[in-house]
Amino acid sequence: MIESPNKRAVIVGVFVFTGLVFLLAGILIVGNLRETFKRKMEVVSLFEDVAGLQKGNNIWLSGVKIGTVDKLNFYGKSQVEVRMSIDTKAQQFIPKDSKVKISNDGLIGNKILIIYGGTEKSLVVQDGDTLGVEKTFTSEDMINTLQENNKNLLAITTDFKTINKKIALGEGTIGKLLSDTSVYTNINAATKSLQAATIKAQQLIGSLATFSSNLNKKGSLANELTTDTVVFKSVKASVFQLQQMADTASVFVANLKQASKNPNSAIGVLLHDEEAGAFLKKSLKNLESSSKKLDEDLEAAQHNFLLRGYFKKKAKIAESSLPEK
Amino acid sequence: MTQTKVKKFNPVIKVIPNVRDATKHSITRLSEKTIEKTQDVGNFLTVFADVVLFIWLIIKETFSRKFEFKEFLRQCYHTGYKTLPLISITGAIMGLVLTIQSRPALLKFGAVTMLPGMVAVSLIREMGPVITALICAGKIGSGMGAELGSMKVTEQIEAMEVSSTNPIRFLVVTRVLAATIMIPMLILYADALGILGCWAGANLKGDVSFTLFFSQAFSHIGFIDFIPAFIKSFFFGAVIGLVGCYKGYHAGRGTESVGVAANSAVVLASLLVIITDMIAVQITDMLVL
Repeated sequence: MIESPNKRAVIVGVFVFTGLVFLLAGILIVGNLRETFKRKMEVVSLFEDVAGLQKGNNIWLSGVKIGTVDKLNFYGKSQVEVRMSIDTKAQQFIPKDSKVKISNDGLIGNKILIIYGGTEKSLVVQDGDTLGVEKTFTSEDMINTLQENNKNLLAITTDFKTINKKIALGEGTIGKLLSDTSVYTNINAATKSLQAATIKAQQLIGSLATFSSNLNKKGSLANELTTDTVVFKSVKASVFQLQQMADTASVFVANLKQASKNPNSAIGVLLHDEEAGAFLKKSLKNLESSSKKLDEDLEAAQHNFLLRGYFKKKAKIAESSLPEK
Repeated sequence: MTQTKVKKFNPVIKVIPNVRDATKHSITRLSEKTIEKTQDVGNFLTVFADVVLFIWLIIKETFSRKFEFKEFLRQCYHTGYKTLPLISITGAIMGLVLTIQSRPALLKFGAVTMLPGMVAVSLIREMGPVITALICAGKIGSGMGAELGSMKVTEQIEAMEVSSTNPIRFLVVTRVLAATIMIPMLILYADALGILGCWAGANLKGDVSFTLFFSQAFSHIGFIDFIPAFIKSFFFGAVIGLVGCYKGYHAGRGTESVGVAANSAVVLASLLVIITDMIAVQITDMLVL
């Protein structure tokens, strides 16, 4: 099909126009020029060291890009004034007392500025305001700290080396302790004694275990005491009676004591009067001899012809009352 | 009696006489080879001079008062619009294939999120312009070579001269300009479709929304990627147009010359596109540093 020249021209025109649109869109997107159409405000910060921050680096607020670095100028003696171009839509989220710090976009990415902090009570930042700066530790600071640590470590290891040498030579308390063999011998002997004591303790525990098992055997006193309630009650009653007897005996003894104190009472006389004691002894001796004689007389009386028949009759009755074998 | 072959008009041959000797002494053979090489150098210089003269004529006729605008539009239509379907398919497949091939390697490092950026940068910087230019060298370059070659063979160019129509202005300038302007447009289309193809590839095994993909892709692209690639695409177009037109305009008399012209136009244009790309990269590198 042969197109007419006019149609051909239109098609070429549309083709070129679309291509130019693509080109323009690409330039706008790549150059981030769509940002040009957004309203911006300027905020300033003063840094001691910007650590390689460049014009055009991004500015983040809570992880969202809100602007770019507009200018970098020297300020005063050695400070750097950083002018930030921030989207006005983000203004309401940035208090005046917010702080700015330099960070990296990723581990090895471009430098970025992060706005953070600020209190709700504070007013919102305005165009031209200055925000405070927080010093962040750069990799150089970390290296310097590491270098200091290395120096300290070197000093510590040097001292440790000296101490170690002295210990190896047997100097100092620890050196002598380590080099002295008698300590080892003593410790060895103590360990052996401890072992023997442990063995004996084990035997003792074994015996105790046997004894306690015997105590706990059924029928034994300890088992009965612990398990049988009747035995316990009778023991309790017996103990109570004993207590009562003891109380009575103590009262009797107290009375006896009191009575013995009185020299006119019978017991007092018995205990304290020596003459009465001697008289009583003599009386008891006479009684003994008298009873011996009476006994002989009575024996004689049994064999008398007047009383002999009575005693024989009595003996017969006694014999007949005995049960048959 | 041996006779040396004379390929073309060669001023050197007039100075050094023909060697006629059957004994073929070593010195004779050496001198024959020397003459042959010298003739080759002479041929090359001749061709180079022809090309320079050709380019000069084109530049001169481009800025002449009687510019053939209608013919230029016609050539733009054939060069640009007619090549669009081919370039669209090529661009989309290029993006898709590049994504699919790159994904496993990035997956190992857990850097799949860098895929859109990586593919976009590759497409816009090199793959888009160079591959599109090579395809255009095949289609447009061979087309121009064959068209002009057949016109040469059928003596239409001479007829044009007789009818006081400048063939350079009418045939060559319009084609070269059309190629110079249309090929960058085609490259832009190819890049755009390549990025769409990349998104399709990313969604074959993953799930990436277009918005996220778009922001990831363009976050890694800067002017240093876009502008040099766009500028070199004009040079690609000029090279393809020039080579195609030169080969066709200087085709031989026989019908087989048409095929030779078309074939050599494609080969030479492709080679020159690669060389131009190399020079462009060096210049870009110098500018960056």
